[in-house]
Amino acid sequence: MSALAARPASPRRGGSPVGFVRDTVLLTARSLRAIPRVPERLLDVTIQPIVFILLFLYVFGSAIHIPGISYANYMFPGIIGQSLAFGVIGAGVATSNDMTEGVIDRFRSMPISRLSIISGQVMGQFCEQVVGMVIVIGLGLALGWNPHLTPGHAIELAALLVFGMLAFTWMGVLFGMLVRSSDAMQGLGFIVIFPLTFLAGTFVPIAGMAAVPRAIAQWDPISALVAAVRQLTEGYHATGSWQLAHPTVAMALWCLVIIAVCAPLALWRFNRKLAS
Amino acid sequence: MTALAIQTNQLTKRFGAFTAVDRLDLSVEQGTVVSLLGPNGAGKTTTVRMLATLLRPDAGRARVGGHDVVTESEQVRRLISLTGQFAALDKNLTARENLVLMARLRGRSRSAARKIADELIERFDAGAFADRLVKSLSGGERRRIDLAAGLIDRPYVLVLDEPTTGLDPRSRQVVWATMRELVTDGVTLLLTTQYLEEADALADRVVLIDRGTEVASGTPAQLKTQVGQQRVDVVAADGEAFERLTGALDGSFDITPLPEHRMVSVAAPDEVADLARVADTVEEAGIAVDEIALRRPTLDDAFLALTGHAPQTEEAQEQEVAA
Repeated sequence: MSALAARPASPRRGGSPVGFVRDTVLLTARSLRAIPRVPERLLDVTIQPIVFILLFLYVFGSAIHIPGISYANYMFPGIIGQSLAFGVIGAGVATSNDMTEGVIDRFRSMPISRLSIISGQVMGQFCEQVVGMVIVIGLGLALGWNPHLTPGHAIELAALLVFGMLAFTWMGVLFGMLVRSSDAMQGLGFIVIFPLTFLAGTFVPIAGMAAVPRAIAQWDPISALVAAVRQLTEGYHATGSWQLAHPTVAMALWCLVIIAVCAPLALWRFNRKLAS
Repeated sequence: MTALAIQTNQLTKRFGAFTAVDRLDLSVEQGTVVSLLGPNGAGKTTTVRMLATLLRPDAGRARVGGHDVVTESEQVRRLISLTGQFAALDKNLTARENLVLMARLRGRSRSAARKIADELIERFDAGAFADRLVKSLSGGERRRIDLAAGLIDRPYVLVLDEPTTGLDPRSRQVVWATMRELVTDGVTLLLTTQYLEEADALADRVVLIDRGTEVASGTPAQLKTQVGQQRVDVVAADGEAFERLTGALDGSFDITPLPEHRMVSVAAPDEVADLARVADTVEEAGIAVDEIALRRPTLDDAFLALTGHAPQTEEAQEQEVAA
């Protein structure tokens, strides 16, 4: 009589690589369903870039002159780098909220790989970042950004952005698990990440900065990203440090290091967090 | 010897200086219903979270189906299904989407998952709200879906943490009926509750826990006999009368004062004769009382007799959940 009694136990055992990929896909799809249902989240990743585009294009930009390049073409690579870095905050806030949801307990008590719960979170956040980035780039093109891209450079740029967003999302997810609340994540974002997005040659050249901010900017990973985007779109070469002279390679290395550090830490933290 | 579905040995969990679960020895035989009964903060939720591998014990061991919850957590997660006090559902999905997702995460194909979701929605009488987002559902509706999500696979051990706390009567009926059916099917059920009638109605064995440790266990009937056959409850008219009442009855009777209810509960082994003696004592002392009643013992009395304080029946959540 009972449908429950008739049903066999789970046909699959967790832990295999195939199971991990399948669970990650299912959990990513779960996150993506939330996008149209909670549109505010998408607003979070687009509103700040839009504000900065308008501010620098129409307010501050008129006072900034950079030899050999139009300010719009100089600034939009900066906006892209900044949006990517803001993704750390967005992913962190979303993760610190999501991790307090009861459904995470359900996933944790199920026979699925715990890494798949985190990678589902990362992929969901990553997709939100991609949508946000498409909106920002679209807006840039509409407002006068005129990138000079060969097809080869376009592919290289897309690959770099995807890699960068993935790495920064991992970082955000880790931060989101380390902080006590999403408010703390907002605070961390404002105090640490927000200044770093300016100390990166985003809106003005690093060379003109005072000694201390210049030293930070020369080794800020966001600088490498911005310089790489500028080099690919404008053939504009920055100088001042090894990473600025080789921004594409430097950015790829940064991404590798970030993922290699953040992914295992996030998994460790996830296993510890509710267990302590 | 009957196989043990759950066995804990000196199981201990501390949160800072607070010991939530203190050297708890618990065993649940296969195919039985055991109720963990205790007030808020007694360690019920902490215990079941350790069994479900959501919390790591600080000391002692726990086994589910013979597997250690720490070293063999993968196996344990395959055997146990926990439904907690808070709905463990994705609030941005509909009830049906949640069930399909949980079934797919348990390895079902898309079509099989849909079929399971349909069955569970029917069983839990949830058709009317199955396609609404969980965040728009009432507490009772969420709890029904939450329970349904715990039954996608027929679990070896089903752990229900206060399954009917805060439920409306209709939802409670659905939950109780499902539990009875599962028990008939042979599922081992560990149930935590603050509702004494729930433990009384469903459990084969009741384990009273207080401050993280077992204070008594037995069948509901055994526990009741531990506190005598019947009791006389006297409710004082006010606080001052309560003080005098306690003084007047103390000495002559075996009493348990309950200041928060202005009530003195008196053991009445001689039943009606004791009722008469209590009433005489009260009248001679001229104490104003609202009520004097002889009644059958409940698990409340068992609790009171064994722990020295009354179980709380408010629907407050256990504080350790926040940890």
